[in-house]
Amino acid sequence: MHCTMEDLGALRAGEGSVWARRHIITCAICQAELEALYQRVAQLKALPTLRPPRDRWPAVRAVMTAERARRRRSRSAWGGTLAAAALLAGVLLVQPSIVGESGNLHAELTQAKQQSATLEDSLQHYDVDGRVLTGHCAAVVAELEDRISDIDGTLATLTQRNVGEQDAELVKLWQQRVGLMRALVTARATRARYVGL
Amino acid sequence: MTVSLAVPDVLVARAQAGDEAALEALYRAFETPVYNLARRMLRRPEDAEDVLQETFLEVVRNIKQYRGEGHLWGWVRRIASTKALMRIRREQVRATESLDDEPGGPAMHVGANLDLERAFEVLSETSRAVVWLHDVEGYTHEEIAEQMGRSVSFSKSQLARAHARLRRMLNEDVGGATP
Repeated sequence: MHCTMEDLGALRAGEGSVWARRHIITCAICQAELEALYQRVAQLKALPTLRPPRDRWPAVRAVMTAERARRRRSRSAWGGTLAAAALLAGVLLVQPSIVGESGNLHAELTQAKQQSATLEDSLQHYDVDGRVLTGHCAAVVAELEDRISDIDGTLATLTQRNVGEQDAELVKLWQQRVGLMRALVTARATRARYVGL
Repeated sequence: MTVSLAVPDVLVARAQAGDEAALEALYRAFETPVYNLARRMLRRPEDAEDVLQETFLEVVRNIKQYRGEGHLWGWVRRIASTKALMRIRREQVRATESLDDEPGGPAMHVGANLDLERAFEVLSETSRAVVWLHDVEGYTHEEIAEQMGRSVSFSKSQLARAHARLRRMLNEDVGGATP
């Protein structure tokens, strides 16, 4: 009876059983097997280093940039929402007539905001942190998120001014935002279908 | 693979502050050892590339949490091996691959004189992972078991079976014994 590979592995780790430790002293065959095991491990350690065939840093950087833009956008959107809410409350208290005078614009504005919120919800479905994107896809997503972030910044600035003079511009910006959000959802959804997730 | 990757503390500090150039420098320092580790554990090169990308995304996201305990390479390597093992588990769930079976791949004739690298390629990903992490990277069976979510005895038996298989594939003649 000779040592099994598990016995030899245990001997190599200094954890061999009493029987195995005694046996290896007297058995030339098992001594040779143990030596072969040491040799094999040494050869494994000496295998050549395999290098990545492509540079993955651009893809990592693109995702990192997109995530930073998204964080900025989230902060900006949150700040904008608070400012808009405060402003709207002030307008309703002080100048209720303005709302009535620009009913059509308000209806369009409300619709654009609702569409934007719906798309934000859809995005949550696809927008999973850690999902691997191709460099191209990540770059497209980063570009879209940057542009949305810019619009959010402008919206936050506009809502601090007189609503009556800015309604048309607000509607236009919100509609642009909806368009960009649609493109962003499409990019995410396409990638999700592609990777089967 | 023996790695001596000394990274200056100032570089780590800059990376933790979000400096993109410092983060890229860390990537350049570790891309090859991370890819090599993943590629030795995984059969498909594209999977190893994905592990490389996933690993560095996690490094970029969590570098602030690295407190300097131990070598930075140890921290990065742990992330990489965990990502590779997760991929193996996911693949096993998909393919319901038996842990002991050698899946299709390079033609393998037991008893043929294969070189060690080819023979190693033929092993299942689970076996490769255990052999590489234990014999080359120096992980203990306890550490491997924890990362794989399996028992210590599973890790030990996988290692023994893998070496027995390598021995057969390499057709080693060491005196007639066949443990």
